[in-house]
Amino acid sequence: MNWFREILSVAISGLTARKARTLLIMLGPVLGAAGIVAAVGLNESAKGDVRQTLERLGTNLIVASADGSFSAGQAPTLPEDAVERVKNVSTVDRVAGITEIGSLTVHPSQGGKDFFRTIPVPVLTSDQNLLNVLDAQMLYGRFINGADEDNIFRSAVIGQDLANSYQYLPGEVRTIDVDGKTYGIVGVLENVDLVPKLDTAVIIPKSAAEEDFDVEQKPTTLYVRATEGNVDSTADALAMAINLGGDEAVTVAVPSDLLEAQGAVDTTLRNILFLMGGLALLVGGVGIANVMSISVIQRSGEIGIRRALGHTKQTIALQFVLEALFVGVLGGIVGVVTGVSVIYLVSSILGWIATLNIPLFLVAGGMALIVSVIAGLYPAWKAARLEPLETLRLG
Amino acid sequence: MNSTGLKNPNPAGSTKVQLFSLDNVYRIYGEEPVAVHALDGVSLDVHSGDFMAIIGPSGSGKSTLLGLLGCLDLPSRGSIKVSDTEVTELDDGARSKLRGDSIGFVFQQFHLIPHLTALGNVATALLYRDLTKSEISQRALKALDTVGLAERLDHRPVQMSGGEQQRVAIARAIVTDPLMILADEPTGALDTKNAKMVMDIFKNLQGENRAVVLVTHDLEIAEQMDRVVSMRDGKIIADDLRSERTESLQNTFWESGSGSKLE
Repeated sequence: MNWFREILSVAISGLTARKARTLLIMLGPVLGAAGIVAAVGLNESAKGDVRQTLERLGTNLIVASADGSFSAGQAPTLPEDAVERVKNVSTVDRVAGITEIGSLTVHPSQGGKDFFRTIPVPVLTSDQNLLNVLDAQMLYGRFINGADEDNIFRSAVIGQDLANSYQYLPGEVRTIDVDGKTYGIVGVLENVDLVPKLDTAVIIPKSAAEEDFDVEQKPTTLYVRATEGNVDSTADALAMAINLGGDEAVTVAVPSDLLEAQGAVDTTLRNILFLMGGLALLVGGVGIANVMSISVIQRSGEIGIRRALGHTKQTIALQFVLEALFVGVLGGIVGVVTGVSVIYLVSSILGWIATLNIPLFLVAGGMALIVSVIAGLYPAWKAARLEPLETLRLG
Repeated sequence: MNSTGLKNPNPAGSTKVQLFSLDNVYRIYGEEPVAVHALDGVSLDVHSGDFMAIIGPSGSGKSTLLGLLGCLDLPSRGSIKVSDTEVTELDDGARSKLRGDSIGFVFQQFHLIPHLTALGNVATALLYRDLTKSEISQRALKALDTVGLAERLDHRPVQMSGGEQQRVAIARAIVTDPLMILADEPTGALDTKNAKMVMDIFKNLQGENRAVVLVTHDLEIAEQMDRVVSMRDGKIIADDLRSERTESLQNTFWESGSGSKLE
């Protein structure tokens, strides 16, 4: 134990005695580890906001839409009991349908009629559990509820973007003109990232739509949440589950796929950056070997006297390997900290979400350590092979 | 008589113990026909209590002899024994341990480790011996005290004079309580005053159980030694005891047929 403590102390004193040279040696692992952490971290941080959105929205939402030609001013529809049919799929967690009503004009009933006429506004009815299926939130007010349906109230929920366009103020009592009928706005729906068309839509009760516009209550689109890990199989099964072999054409899409593709870290780019960091580390390793080899020559007198005092070749070699090990450990830590600082700095400047990959820290730090030790082996071997007679210049 | 044909300075009946023994040792560098015979069949015994100088001109083989006596090198042929241990049969680890335990070195250029204090330099000789930190400190401090430098234990070599540095080197040599102190031109880099101080320390280190061997060019230094081994062309040409010396070394040396002064 004393032996190991002593050799540690000799190695540390060897490093601290020549601070400038130690810092120079350490630059290699520092830059290498910092390069790996920063390059990969920045690449991931650049995608961080998209991935954060995905995390919030979930990737298990499936959209099943009726596909086909418009008929009698009505969008193509799914079977009336499509929701019930989909519920029978065992991997479906929850489902809600909407019915888009075509050929309706919408504008605010109070002033500015001409100005707003040009904005296309989809009008639709929906199941009351739509918010639950979409994990959507109300910005103000409430969603269509059972009372609206039962009493055939002319209530309306509008999307956040539409509310902005109509300059709707929170808490304001406002109405909206839907094809000549005046509906009272009961709530504003917060933007739904996965279903952007809702952001400019007007949602009215099914009963009111039937009363005012004589709409068939067949859904045009279903929003389905699959159970964990069953998104693809559910998506594959949906079309058949909905039309049961009938002639209704069904298009199935997973909206998060697109986001996922946008948010996916480019593995090729990441690998290239990782490789470049690794190369920096390798160059650093060559630097360590170089500077330490020079150091061995400069310290040949010290090595010679230690050998004369009875220190073995192995002890001398271990002393230099330990010096390299310390350089690697310290360089790795400083490198990772530097890399993380760069990630935070650049992310804050560019408005990214700093993403830290903890296992990568261990990889980068570990690589710095391994490269340092390997780079230290040659100088250590050289030091051990120095003949004391040659270094002490006798006689 | 030994193999050089010279009389044995420690005849039978002496109470001195043989510490080091070189028997018919050759040290040849390179290969024939360009081989250099640095030592050519040298035999030499070093006994406890010896206060010995090895003298000779440059190229006479005294540095090679010093390397072999110090177990820093191995002979091309011949036997080297420390006590009863045959050095040529030891691996590097065992030879290093033997060197650390049995020999204390003092060099002309001091060879102190520049970033260590006087205490640290002396303590370096005690590393890897399973001693506690306080044991090492106490022994190093005692050795520094022996050479009169207990007050300067925290000074680095650059903060000390040449004489002080050489005294630290002597403290480092004696801290392990070796069988032999092997000094290579220990006064060569010192002024007269410091050289005298260092020689006085060596005289005090001479003891019943220890040998002091100095390699030197300086005949005045050699004159102060009890035993003087003269070398030329890789051979020992004289091995004299002061008690039996009738002429000055200077004259002996000139008469030995060297044809040149010591350098």
